[in-house]
Amino acid sequence: MAGENSIAKASGALPEPFKDLEPFLHWALPSEPERMAARETSTIEELQVFYDAMLRRMPAIVEYLNRFPLDRMPVEAQRLLNMALALNEVSIAVERYRQPRVINGRERERFFPGR
Amino acid sequence: MSVDVYKRWAQRYPNMSTAPVPADSCILPEYFALERERIFRRSWLCVGNVCEIPERGDYIVREVAICDANILIIRGNDGVVRGFHNVCSHRGNTLAWDAKGKCRGYLTCNFHSWGYDSAGQLKWIPDEANFFDLDKRQLGLTPVATDVFRGFIFINFAPEQTLTEYLEGVTERMKPEGFDQLRLQRMYRFEERSNWKVSMDAQNEGYHVVSQHRYLMPKLFVTTGEGCFRSAEMTFFGRHSVSGSSISPDYKPFPVEGLMFQIDNGPSRCRLPMQHSFEFHLIFPNFAMLFFRYPTNDFCITHNFWPIAVDRTMWEIRFYAPDPLNAAELLSQDFMQVFNRVVFDEDASAHETVQAGLESRAKKFLLLQDEEIAIRHFHDVLDAEMATHNGR
Ligand code: FES
Ligand SMILES: [Fe+2]
Repeated sequence: MAGENSIAKASGALPEPFKDLEPFLHWALPSEPERMAARETSTIEELQVFYDAMLRRMPAIVEYLNRFPLDRMPVEAQRLLNMALALNEVSIAVERYRQPRVINGRERERFFPGR
Repeated sequence: MSVDVYKRWAQRYPNMSTAPVPADSCILPEYFALERERIFRRSWLCVGNVCEIPERGDYIVREVAICDANILIIRGNDGVVRGFHNVCSHRGNTLAWDAKGKCRGYLTCNFHSWGYDSAGQLKWIPDEANFFDLDKRQLGLTPVATDVFRGFIFINFAPEQTLTEYLEGVTERMKPEGFDQLRLQRMYRFEERSNWKVSMDAQNEGYHVVSQHRYLMPKLFVTTGEGCFRSAEMTFFGRHSVSGSSISPDYKPFPVEGLMFQIDNGPSRCRLPMQHSFEFHLIFPNFAMLFFRYPTNDFCITHNFWPIAVDRTMWEIRFYAPDPLNAAELLSQDFMQVFNRVVFDEDASAHETVQAGLESRAKKFLLLQDEEIAIRHFHDVLDAEMATHNGR
């Protein structure tokens, strides 16, 4: 993870047309448990900023990513895809709960035993 | 749109009681011990899907703790899916140790290297000449009745009926279309301090949707004018049941949800045999199949509620859909997986707490309303099965 992050912070971390999203590279998380944990440990303000920035660009992002076969995504495109996946996770909090954590949820990390 | 109807299902099914249901079955260890013998050892139990073992020699291993069994499901070189106790014929060691694997040639026991082929036949005994009166042909793995319905693998430790007979009208209702496209995409496991029926009952009704899921799915389903959930269908097929629900025609998707509906717009590869936008099929005793209508490809979520102890359950959730072909399909599938995981997160909040409530013995009964009739049906079937097998 640390290695992935340090690469991500270098410039050229995202495909050229999406450079403006590089401030949000910490959301390029490769797995669902990581994305869930990031959603739960952020503030609602942080989630909102990421959500707004991504949602505007989603049609262009999807159009761009659709050009690549899923099993042969270039590494920068894969980061962008992971950020788009993080939007799914974040949208639940921003749109529905208006708070980072599931209201009345229960020890959700238990959905991912052993991780 | 609203549907102002009351006590509809009780009218439709006048032979079913409307009385409170005793809560004892969820807290008494004696009852749990009998469930093991009278229900789980003689019912068809779903343990997975053939998509997990697509090629010859592929196998999965499943712990069926309630039957003290460890089961090897393997696709033979002849393509047939078979189930065996994962127990070596020599002195009873565990044969396959990985949850998933491939048999290339022989499966070999780690203890003394007895070797079995992909059809469970014993093929190799080291130093065989030093044994006494062995007949290898009689010493294959111990089979467990195994059959496949719509790609889902079922086993039975003491079958009294074929799987087709057991499923009754389900086989007619679930036409084969679409199922061959389903692939396991994701799985969650949630171990709970609750009785398996407490966990399962929580899924088996729509009454809670407008309450427990009020933030997550407001105004999603058809309700009365007062906002009370109303299902579109309740049908019972022998031991099994289906409840269907309709998405409200006035429903406005949330922005990201709406976006997913737009971007995932390729030709459909999977249409499941659905009569409503959402269907919940309970396959007795502990398996549920949920079908979701979705713009491009329908998808299926399954629940297995595996009893471990009277107050402990392993809840397994599996998400099946066609393999995504591009980023749009992947994103839209991921959205539904994440969304439903959060739905189950909310659901889980009333499993352990209900169990604690029942264990306190403050309340002796569950009170069920008309939209909870499938729970009643399930408990009626359970009681009947427990009585039928009494003393056997
Ligand atoms: S127990 Fe398997 S070879 Fe001895
Ligand atoms: Fe629910």
